[in-house]
Amino acid sequence: MGRILLAAFAVVLITILVMKAPTTTPPTPGTSREVQQPRVEEKAALRTLQAKYKTLSKQLVQLMPDQPYILVDTARNRLYVKRQGEIVLDAIASTGSGTILDKPGEGNDQWIFDTPRGEFLVQSKITNPTWIRPDWAFVEEGLDVPKNAAERAEPGVLGDYALGFGKGYFIHGTLYTRLLGKNVTHGCIRLNDNDLKGVYKLARVGTPIMIF
Amino acid sequence: MNFCAILLLLTFAAPGWGKEPEAFPDLNLTDGQAIKEATRVLEEEVKLAARPQTYVLIDLATKTIHIKGRGVDLHRIPIILWASDSRDHLKGIHKLTTRPAVVRRKIEPGAGAEQEPISVADMPVDYVLTFTPALTITVVPSAAENNLLKGALFLSKAWWRQTKTWAGTVFSDQSSKQSGQLQLTLSADHAQSFAWSLVDGVAVVIRRASDR
Repeated sequence: MGRILLAAFAVVLITILVMKAPTTTPPTPGTSREVQQPRVEEKAALRTLQAKYKTLSKQLVQLMPDQPYILVDTARNRLYVKRQGEIVLDAIASTGSGTILDKPGEGNDQWIFDTPRGEFLVQSKITNPTWIRPDWAFVEEGLDVPKNAAERAEPGVLGDYALGFGKGYFIHGTLYTRLLGKNVTHGCIRLNDNDLKGVYKLARVGTPIMIF
Repeated sequence: MNFCAILLLLTFAAPGWGKEPEAFPDLNLTDGQAIKEATRVLEEEVKLAARPQTYVLIDLATKTIHIKGRGVDLHRIPIILWASDSRDHLKGIHKLTTRPAVVRRKIEPGAGAEQEPISVADMPVDYVLTFTPALTITVVPSAAENNLLKGALFLSKAWWRQTKTWAGTVFSDQSSKQSGQLQLTLSADHAQSFAWSLVDGVAVVIRRASDR
C-alpha cells in the first residue's frame, strides 16, 4: 500500500515539474537561421530584464519593515499599527494644527505647530508621564515663562503612557477626547486611553513611525 | 521518511506557492518596454526606500499616486487623467522645490478661545509644483465636479495654460525643452489630499506609461 502511495506521489510530482518547465516551441519549418537569430536574442534580453525586475522587487520587499510599524495620517487624523501590511490597530487621533505663534522678543521667529512628516522611530516609552510645559505653552496663554523648572511640570494631562519619537514630540493621551479626529495639537499625536494602551503594548523602542 | 520528503518537494513545486513579490502587479512580464520602465523605476525606488523618509511614486501606467515610505504604500490617490509633453523629462528622481503656499492662522496669545486649525479643506485644488531636475507638475481638479461657472473658469484656465505652453514652445525655444510638463487631473478632494501630503524637498519618481 505504501509503495502504491509513493508511486502515485512520484507521478504527481513529475507531472507538476513537467508543467512548470519552460515551454519551447519547435522551429517553424522553412524559416531561415537569420530570421530566428534576433528572436533568440530578444528572448534572452527579456529573460535578463525579468530577472532584474524580480531581483529589484525582492530588494524593495526586504526594505519594508518586518516588525509592526505605526502609520499616522495627519490629513485624516488616523493612527494605524500595521504588521506586514495588515492593520492591527486603527485609532482616531489628533495631530498638529498648523497654526503659528510669534516668539516673544524681537525678530520674526515663530513656532509652527505641525506634526513632523517622514519616518521616525519610537525612542522612549514612558508610563504615567508628566508634561514639562515648553515656553510656547505659557506664551500661548499670555503668561510669563517661569524661570523655575518645577513650575513647568504638569502631571496627569498626557494620559497613562507616552511614546517619544524625538525633538519633544510624543504619542500620548488627552483630556480633550471630543477633539480627536481634528488637527488641534502643537505637533504631538493624541489618542484616547484605550488606543494609547494598545499602541503602547504593540510598539517597542525602535518601532518605525511613518507620518504623512 | 520518503513520504515526508515527497510532501516537502511537492510543497515547493506546487504552482503559486512561495510566489515571489511583485512591485507592479499590473506589469505584463512579456512586454520588454514595460519591464524596462518598471525596472528603471524600481532602481530609483530602492534608493529612496533605503532611507528613513517618505517619497512619492506617480504611476501613470495605473493612474495612481502612491505616498510611500520604506517601499510601503502609505496612501494612494487616484489620477483621473494625465498629460505630458515629454517622456524623457519624467525620468529620474525629482525633488520638490515649490509647492502651494499654506495660509496659516496666527494664535493670539491669551485669546482663550480655541484657535481655528488648518485642515485638508484649506488646501488648494488647482496648483503648480516645481521640481529639480526641471519638471513642472500642474494639478487641476476634474471639471466634472464643478458647477457650470466653475467649469467655464476651469476650461478658460486650461485654455490659457495651453496657449502659454504653446507660446513658450514657439517663441522661447528654451523653456519647454529644459523643463518637462506633467498635468494631473484629480478630484477636488484628492487634489487637496495630495497638496497636504507634500513636504518641501520630497522626492518624486514617475513610472511612465507605454506610448499611447
